[in-house]
Amino acid sequence: MAKPKIAVFKFSSCAGCQLSILNIEDHLLDVLGAVDVAYFVMAKRENHEGPYDIGFVEGAVTSPKELLELKKIREECKILVAMGACACTGGLPSIKNFAGTQREMEEKVYTELWDLKSIPAYGIDHYVKVDAYLRGCAVDVGEMVELIKSALLGVNPHFRPHSVCNECKLKENVCLLVNKGKPCMGSVTAAGCGALCPSLNRPCEGCRGPANDANAASLAQTFAVDLGLSRDDVRRKFLKYAGNTPEFKKGAEAV
Amino acid sequence: MEAFVLPKAELGGFVAKLKANYEVFGPVAKGTEFVFGAVAAAEDLRLDYDTTILPPKKYFHRPVETLFTFNGPVEIAGEGEKVAGKQLLFGVHPCDVNALLSLDKVFLNTYPDPYYKARRENTVIIGVNCVAPCENGFCSSFNTGPAMDTGFDLALTDIGDKYVVEVGSAQGKDLVAGLAAASEADLVARNKALRACQQKITRQIDAENLGELLHQNVEHPKWEELKEECLACGTCTTVCPTCFCFGVKDYVDLSLKAGERPRTWDSCMFYEFSRVALDHVFRPGRAARIKQRIFHKLTYFNQQFEGSPGCVGCGRCVSTCIKAIDPVEIVAAIQENPNPPEEVKLYTPPAKKVTPETSPWAPQKAVIKAIKQQTKDTTTYTFAFADPKVQEAYTYDPGVFNEISIFGIGEAPISISSCADVKDSFDHTIRAVGNVTNALAKLQVGDIVGIRGPYGVGWPVEEMKGKNVLLVAGGIGLAPLRPVIKYIQARRDQYGDFEILYGARTPNDMLFTGEFEEWRKIPNTRLYLTVDIVPPGVEWGHNIGVVTTLFDKMASRPENTIMVTCGPEIMMKFVVRGLLARGFSPEQIYVSLERRMSCGIKKCGNCQIGPVFVCQDGPVFKYADIKDLPEEIF
Ligand SMILES: Cc1cc2nc3c(=O)[nH]c(=O)nc-3n(C[C@H](O)[C@H](O)[C@H](O)COP(=O)(O)OP(=O)(O)OC[C@H]3O[C@@H](n4cnc5c(N)ncnc54)[C@H](O)[C@@H]3O)c2cc1C
Ligand code: SF4
Ligand code: SF4
Ligand code: SF4
Ligand code: SF4
Ligand code: FES
Repeated sequence: MAKPKIAVFKFSSCAGCQLSILNIEDHLLDVLGAVDVAYFVMAKRENHEGPYDIGFVEGAVTSPKELLELKKIREECKILVAMGACACTGGLPSIKNFAGTQREMEEKVYTELWDLKSIPAYGIDHYVKVDAYLRGCAVDVGEMVELIKSALLGVNPHFRPHSVCNECKLKENVCLLVNKGKPCMGSVTAAGCGALCPSLNRPCEGCRGPANDANAASLAQTFAVDLGLSRDDVRRKFLKYAGNTPEFKKGAEAV
Repeated sequence: MEAFVLPKAELGGFVAKLKANYEVFGPVAKGTEFVFGAVAAAEDLRLDYDTTILPPKKYFHRPVETLFTFNGPVEIAGEGEKVAGKQLLFGVHPCDVNALLSLDKVFLNTYPDPYYKARRENTVIIGVNCVAPCENGFCSSFNTGPAMDTGFDLALTDIGDKYVVEVGSAQGKDLVAGLAAASEADLVARNKALRACQQKITRQIDAENLGELLHQNVEHPKWEELKEECLACGTCTTVCPTCFCFGVKDYVDLSLKAGERPRTWDSCMFYEFSRVALDHVFRPGRAARIKQRIFHKLTYFNQQFEGSPGCVGCGRCVSTCIKAIDPVEIVAAIQENPNPPEEVKLYTPPAKKVTPETSPWAPQKAVIKAIKQQTKDTTTYTFAFADPKVQEAYTYDPGVFNEISIFGIGEAPISISSCADVKDSFDHTIRAVGNVTNALAKLQVGDIVGIRGPYGVGWPVEEMKGKNVLLVAGGIGLAPLRPVIKYIQARRDQYGDFEILYGARTPNDMLFTGEFEEWRKIPNTRLYLTVDIVPPGVEWGHNIGVVTTLFDKMASRPENTIMVTCGPEIMMKFVVRGLLARGFSPEQIYVSLERRMSCGIKKCGNCQIGPVFVCQDGPVFKYADIKDLPEEIF
C-alpha cells in the first residue's frame, strides 16, 4: 500500500491543534514513516496539491471565502476530519453567535466595516460531510494517532464517547463538583482527554462538546441552585465551546 | 471462630511484618477523600476511613486489562498479566468483601476468567468491620455489613485501644502467630461495638420482595422524574463494587500488526453501551438505562447469579452522584406509592455447566476452506480449525454462535450456519456491516481467522421431535436457521410436517438461493418465499409482501407444532403476534435474539435484556420465558 497522503488545513482558530500535531514527539517519527504529509503549511515549506487521503481541518468557518475553500477541500479529501473544538462545534469563535447580531459583533470589533464579510461560526459539518471528529481544545494527541491508525487499517475509530467523569473517576480524582463545589462540566462532556483538567484540579470546561445523551439542563440546575452560579455564568459555561449543539444549548437555556 | 487481639500500638509492627511478605494495599488519604493504594508505611493506613473513591474491586477486575497481546491478525503473542506475587489488602470493609463474593459469581462461574481468578487466589484479605456507619451506606439492608462473617482471611474490629482479630482462613491463621488470644471481655466489646453501629444505621431498603416490587413498577412516575435528573455520567456504575461490565477493543501499534486486546470498564448508564453496527442502539432512552442499573443492582443480579446481592449498600453511588440519586430513596418513593400488586414470575436463567479451565479469551486459528458469495454484502465462509485435533473435537448445536476475531480489528458474534452433522468443517454466513465483518469480506480462501466458541443455547431440535415444525426467517436471519433445515433433512422421519417461510427485502437479498430446490425436495416440506419489493427488471414468481403475509398460504396449525423464527426484531414481533392471533401459544414459539456482545460468556454485561444474558441464556429463547421481561422485547 502506498503511504496515504495527509493534509492539514486551517480556518479561524488559534492554530493550537496544528501545533499539537507537531507535539506528538513520541509518535512523530513513526507517524511520519507511515504517512506522507503532503500539505501542512505550519510544518513544511513545500506543500503539494490534492487529492489527499486524509484531510485534517482546523478552525471554524467564519467567512464566505473560507466556505468556498472548505467545499474544495471536501472534494479533495477521501477522509475529512474535523480537528479540534472550532472545527467540530464552532468552538471559541462561536461565542459571537450568542452575543448579538452578526452586525453588532462586527461593529464591536472592527472600525472599518466596508470590506468585512463575516458569517456566524459553526462546526464544519454545518456545511460539508465530515467523516471523523477529533474533539477538544486542543485535540488529544493519543486520539489523533488512534485516528490515523484506524484510517490506515480502514476501520472506524472507536473512541470512548463516555463522560469525562468516567475517566476522572477511573483516576480516582476527588470530585471537584461534589467535594469542592466547583462548576465542573465533566458529567455532560465527551471523554477522550483522560479527564485532563480535573486531574490538574481545574474544572472541566466542556471543550470536547456534549457526551451522547448529555443532560445539560440538569447540570445547569445544579450550577445555579447548588453552587449558586448566576444565570449569565451558567449560560457562559454552556456557550463557551459548543453552544451550537442542541445539547449544550439546552444547558444554556435551562436557568 | 478463633479470635485474637492486636493492640493498636502494635499495628505498625504487624503491618511491617506483612510488608516483608506481601505487597500491601489499603485505604490511604487522597485530599479530602480516601483511595485504596500502596501502603508505604503503617502510618499511611487509614483504618478510620469512611469509604474509598473506587472499591478494592480494582485489584481483581482492573479498570483496563490486557486479555492478550498479538502479532499479526491471528498470532497470539502473550497473555495478560496475572499478578506475580501475593498481594494483601488491608482494611477492606464488609460491604466490599461481600461485593467481591458477588463478583466471584460473575468471573468464576461458567467460563472462569483466568486473570480475575489468579488475583483472587493470590490475594490475602484483611477486613475491618465498621464500628461507625458511613454517611450514605445501607449495608444492613442486604446483610453485607456492618460486620462480615465470610470472605476474609482476617477481620479486625476496633474496640478502643486494640483490634479483635478474627481468623477466617488457614492463611489468616498463619498471620496471627504471636498475637494473644481474645478474652471473653474482648469479644463482648466487639459484639457491643458492632451492635451499636448496626443500630446507628438508619438508611435502609426494605429488601423483602424487592424483585416483585420493582417488576410491578417498571412503569412508575419515579423513573420519569429520575430521567430528568440523571446526567448519564456513569459515575454511579464506575464506583460500584459489584458492577462488572466492560467493553473489548483491539489496539495496534503503528506497525498496524502488533498490539493488544484489552477490556475496559464500561457501563449500562452510557448510551453507547448497547450500540451495534449501523448505529442501532438497543437501550437509547435514559429512563431505560437508569432502570437497567437500579434493577440490575437490586434484583437482576440476584436472579442471574444464584441469590448473590447486586447491591451491597456501600453508598458510593449516592456519595459520588452529582444529583445524589439514591437507591434507598428510589425504593422508598416506589413503596410509598406503588402500582397495584400483580403476580410476577421472576426469570430464572437455565443452569450452565462450568467449562474446563482454559483461557476463554484466546481464539483458535481457523482456515477459510471455501467462500460463497450469497448476495452483494453477504458471504458464506467454510472454516476448519487449523489444528485437526481441535476440529475433530468441535461439536455444536444448531443455532449457537462463535466469536470470530481478526486481531487489530476486533471480534464479532456470528451464528454457525452449517449443519451440526458435518464433522470436518463449519460455515458462517456473514453480512458486511462494520469493522470486523468488512475485514472478513476482504479475506480469501486459505486465510486464517481466530474463532472461539461455540456459545449459547440453540434451537430446540430435540423438543421438536415428533412434532410439526414451522420455520419463519427474515433476511440474514435464515443463516442461524439453516442448521435446523439441514438437521431435519438428515432425520426426516423424526419430524412431522415442515414449512419454511422466508422473506427478504428484494429477490437479490435472498440467501442460499442455490439450495432452495434441494429443500423443496425434502419429503413433507414446503418452502414459501416473499420479498418486500421487486425492483424493475427483476423476475419474481413468488409472493410480494412482508413475511407475515405468507401466513395465509401456509398449512401449519397450532396443534402439535413448534415455530422457530429469526430475523430483524421488528419482523419477529409481527411474526409472534400473527401466530398468537392464530392460536399458537407462547410455549410453542422460539425466537433468536441479538444484542451487543463483547464476550459471549456472560462476563461483559453488554448483551443483557433485563435479567437475561442473550449470549449464554440464549440467543434462542422460548417466547414464553421472555415475553414478560421488564425490558419489553416484543
Ligand atoms: C448471537 C448473534 C448471532 C449473529 N449471527 C450473525 C450471522 O450469522 N451473520 C451476520 O452477518 N451477523 C450476525 N450477527 C450480527 C453480527 O454480530 C454483527 O453484524 C457484527 O458484530 C458487526 O460487527 P462489526 O465489527 O462488523 O461492526 P461494528 O459496527 O464495527 O461493531 C461495533 C461493535 O458492536 C458490536 N456489534 C455490532 N453489531 C452487533 C450485533 N448485531 N450484535 C451484537 N454485537 C454487535 C461489535 O461486537 C462491536 O463491539 C449476530 C449477532 C449476534 C448477537
Ligand atoms: S471532577 Fe468533574 S469530571 Fe471529575 S468526577 Fe467530578 S464532575 Fe466529573
Ligand atoms: S452518577 Fe448520578 S447522574 Fe451520573 S449516571 Fe449515575 S445516577 Fe446519573
Ligand atoms: S449500587 Fe450503590 S450502594 Fe449499591 S453496591 Fe453499588 S455503589 Fe454501592
Ligand atoms: S449492567 Fe449492572 S453491572 Fe453492568 S454497569 Fe449496569 S449496573 Fe453495573
Ligand atoms: S455478557 Fe458479554 S456478550 Fe453476553
